[in-house]
Amino acid sequence: MSSEFLLEIGTEELPASFVTHALRSMKASAVELVGQARLGTDSLEVHAMGTPRRLALRVRGLAASQPDRDETVMGPPWSAAFDADGSPKKAASGFAKKHGVAVEELRKQSTDKGDYVSVQVHEAGKATAAVLAEILPQLCQRITFPKSMRWGPGEIAFGRPIHWVVSLLDSEVIGFEFAGVQAGRATRGHRFLAPESFDLDEARNYERALEQAHVIVDLERRKDRMMGGLLAAAKSLDGVLEPDAFLADECVSLVEEPFTVPGGFDESFLELPDRVVVSVMRDHQRYFAVRASEGGALLPSYLNVVNTAQDPETISKGNDRVLRARLADARFFVEEDRKAPLADRLQKLDSVVFQSKLGTMGAKVRRLQANARALAERSGADADACVEAARLCKADLETLIVFEFPELQGEMGRWYALREGTDSAIADAIRDHYRPQGADDVVPNQVVGAVVAVADRIDTLVGCFGIGLVPTGSADPFALRRAALGIIRIALEGPIDVDLRQLIDQACRAYAGDAELAPAEEVRASLDGFFRGRIRAMLKDAHGGDVVDACLGAWDGTSLRDLRSRIEAVAELGAAPEFEALAVAFKRAFNITKESARGTIDPALLEAGAETTLAERFVTVRDQIREATGERRYADALKLVAKELGTPIDRYFEEVFVMVDDPRVRENRLRLLGEIADTVNGIAHFHQLGTKLQRRDPSVSA
Amino acid sequence: MTFQELILALERFWAERGCLIVQPYNSEVGAGTFNPHTFLRAIGPEPWNVAYVEPSRRPTDGRYGENPNRLQQFHQYQVILKPSPLDIQDLYLESLRALGTDPSRHDIRFIEDDWESPTLGAWGLGWQVWLDGLEISQFTYFQQCGGIDCKPVSGELTYGLERIAMYLQDVDDVYELQWAPGIRYGDLYKRAEWEWSTYNFEQADVDLQKNLFEEYEKQVAILLGLSDKKGKGGALQFDREPLERLALPAYDAVIKCSHYFNVLDARGAISVTERQRYIGRVRLIARAVAESWYAQREALGFPLLDTAAAAQ
Repeated sequence: MSSEFLLEIGTEELPASFVTHALRSMKASAVELVGQARLGTDSLEVHAMGTPRRLALRVRGLAASQPDRDETVMGPPWSAAFDADGSPKKAASGFAKKHGVAVEELRKQSTDKGDYVSVQVHEAGKATAAVLAEILPQLCQRITFPKSMRWGPGEIAFGRPIHWVVSLLDSEVIGFEFAGVQAGRATRGHRFLAPESFDLDEARNYERALEQAHVIVDLERRKDRMMGGLLAAAKSLDGVLEPDAFLADECVSLVEEPFTVPGGFDESFLELPDRVVVSVMRDHQRYFAVRASEGGALLPSYLNVVNTAQDPETISKGNDRVLRARLADARFFVEEDRKAPLADRLQKLDSVVFQSKLGTMGAKVRRLQANARALAERSGADADACVEAARLCKADLETLIVFEFPELQGEMGRWYALREGTDSAIADAIRDHYRPQGADDVVPNQVVGAVVAVADRIDTLVGCFGIGLVPTGSADPFALRRAALGIIRIALEGPIDVDLRQLIDQACRAYAGDAELAPAEEVRASLDGFFRGRIRAMLKDAHGGDVVDACLGAWDGTSLRDLRSRIEAVAELGAAPEFEALAVAFKRAFNITKESARGTIDPALLEAGAETTLAERFVTVRDQIREATGERRYADALKLVAKELGTPIDRYFEEVFVMVDDPRVRENRLRLLGEIADTVNGIAHFHQLGTKLQRRDPSVSA
Repeated sequence: MTFQELILALERFWAERGCLIVQPYNSEVGAGTFNPHTFLRAIGPEPWNVAYVEPSRRPTDGRYGENPNRLQQFHQYQVILKPSPLDIQDLYLESLRALGTDPSRHDIRFIEDDWESPTLGAWGLGWQVWLDGLEISQFTYFQQCGGIDCKPVSGELTYGLERIAMYLQDVDDVYELQWAPGIRYGDLYKRAEWEWSTYNFEQADVDLQKNLFEEYEKQVAILLGLSDKKGKGGALQFDREPLERLALPAYDAVIKCSHYFNVLDARGAISVTERQRYIGRVRLIARAVAESWYAQREALGFPLLDTAAAAQ
């Protein structure tokens, strides 16, 4: 049977994020150090495990001993070590002595830089135990944490104070010292259920021995156990568990052995919005909520993951009391908030800073209303509803409940608005204008919410760019990238198109009197570049970077859906068999004419055959192509191009030599090709396309 | 267990474990950390074990005596163990037994909670301790104090006495707590909460508080001989030798500044940008005091190092 090595570092309670962070660095360092020490085999298996009170590493498949090593060590240049007649100089004897060999054993090694002295060194491999004793202190020192601390004498830094270290190769202690603690075989069980220190006989018995001492070391196993307990407890309450991945990760990292203790609260608290009850339980107390059925009503119960359950009644009694006080607080906030209508908070927004150079939230809300009206009128939306939603969308920031639970912004505004009898489209928009919150979130699906969402984001973007707060590298404190992506996604996935240029200009105008921004042209230019960068980053995986670039090149920076039509048209053409030849031909036409002057084509100068055919065909369809382009029917335009011009232009390049000596003929040819290139460029810049479009499997989403 | 019995039990417990039992500070503090028995003694190499009650004022937390859980003045029980012993968690859990709570019958958890006092230039890492879901204590390993690295490190245990008493007496309203037989918490403090809430939120004279802040701030510079000029890397410069500086009166002035800032904050008289500036001003004078205190102890040869050696 192969050997097994175990390292366990016992600590005071580590925060959840510390454990995952430390285990990752422990595992990576172990793999690296074992490799460097030549202890790895093909069956090497490194597994990191942890609880709040211990970080552990199990290594299987270690070599029984380090293999011997033969190595060529390079020395000084040959000429510095030996005379021309081959007699050794001081450098040669020194080098030989250093490696414990006779001068005669030195060899000549030719390299790019000339001849050098070399020696073959044989290093006998050491026993695995001895090598481990050398690398373990390094391994421990390399463990990293999001934050380290010092304790006691203050000499050492670690995630939390260290209490014991176990280091066992099978049944043998691999002794070393770390943080003033001598590694041995004594470990400890659960802080309350098995507090006495005990000895481990063998590394392979570690998990079992700890389980008997009420510690499930492996995080995944502990989580399985915890989830099993939660699901069963929910069932016994005749309900279902409200899933919450974040809470699950958090809770499993707070216990060494998970137990579930249910508790309850007075049903009258269920008059509060569900989100408030869930937030109180989750954020303050880390309790799971229980519903009558999936997506159904909340039950007046909660599930609490605890570390000990010797006396569940006492524990739930205590927790019930805490929750009761918290819920009573929340109810107090909601009742206070409802004493005045939502709109009464607007005045207070005048004393809340949005950004020090951009003024108050009150001013922002007034700009949002102007932006929302302009956007609504262009989108054919109900402008009054959009303006009212914009007026109310930030009012809940001044409510007590949102002050207490910031993540309920929007949700609570909607809830209060509905109870005041506000139109549901407006109330929904108060919630939806924060969407999408991130890449996984949906965009507003109703027009009013979409209008306010865009109005809000463009105000932030224009304001920040207008005072030079432009994201750099990873620094994007106002989440401007996310704001721009939000606008793009709302236009492409949501209910309204967005004309970026008009939007930016409108948002710049709205700042008049509120803040000193850079000139509108500058803001527009830098935001145009910023949006193009975001569009490219968002769409390149789905459509290919070159297709997006080709369409961005032809796009005028206005309608986002127009850009999408171009991309779809090019992608559609890209799937057709004749595409490649077409792309090559237009690329050629562009390249050859990019420096030449445009002008009227003189039919008299055309050569009969391929050139006349191309010219005639082009003149016939030119207006149709331009009309389709002008009407943003890019797929139609490209179909015409492919159908009418594909064969003639191929033939043209095969048969006609453009750069003839006669200047008049040459110029006329360039004019024809130039006009064709310009016409096609109005749809997409074919010269920016790769010759081979990457064909994408449509079943794979971006 | 009445409120006063709770205090007595903790006093006895920590006295038996070698802590000095001292008294609350006679100036307005926001937490036991502000008491010089913690803030100053956490600085420098001298060992220090101390325990005391600290009535702590948080003007913004006032609720006119109407909220059963929130007070503008509450009581902390503060323990400092320097250097922090390796069994500090066990000591803490034993102290709960001394209050009649068997930790193995309850759910006790150490939940990450780092502590920072921006005005004191102090921070540490540690936990909140939960007893059946109730936060009953703060547990902090001081890493810096007054901008000075703590070495050795002090372990700070802070018990929230009202919370613990409510738990032990099984009451939901802080004013219903029995302070002593026949005397409730409300008898002592309900009216006080209303008066202080009214003062802090409505009637405190803003100009007076601002003036007092400025004047006490100036006092710190005078009492320490703190120079306007800074040395290399922003190092503070003093015109007085360490033992000529009056670090303790200067520290009182720091405490006053911090308190007036809190009142102004509760009064809504400080804007967001001003807020940062006020905090920075208090931090600077707190640092000047911390450095002066350290320099004085050093000039005196860190006397408690000898006492500790002699005791061993």
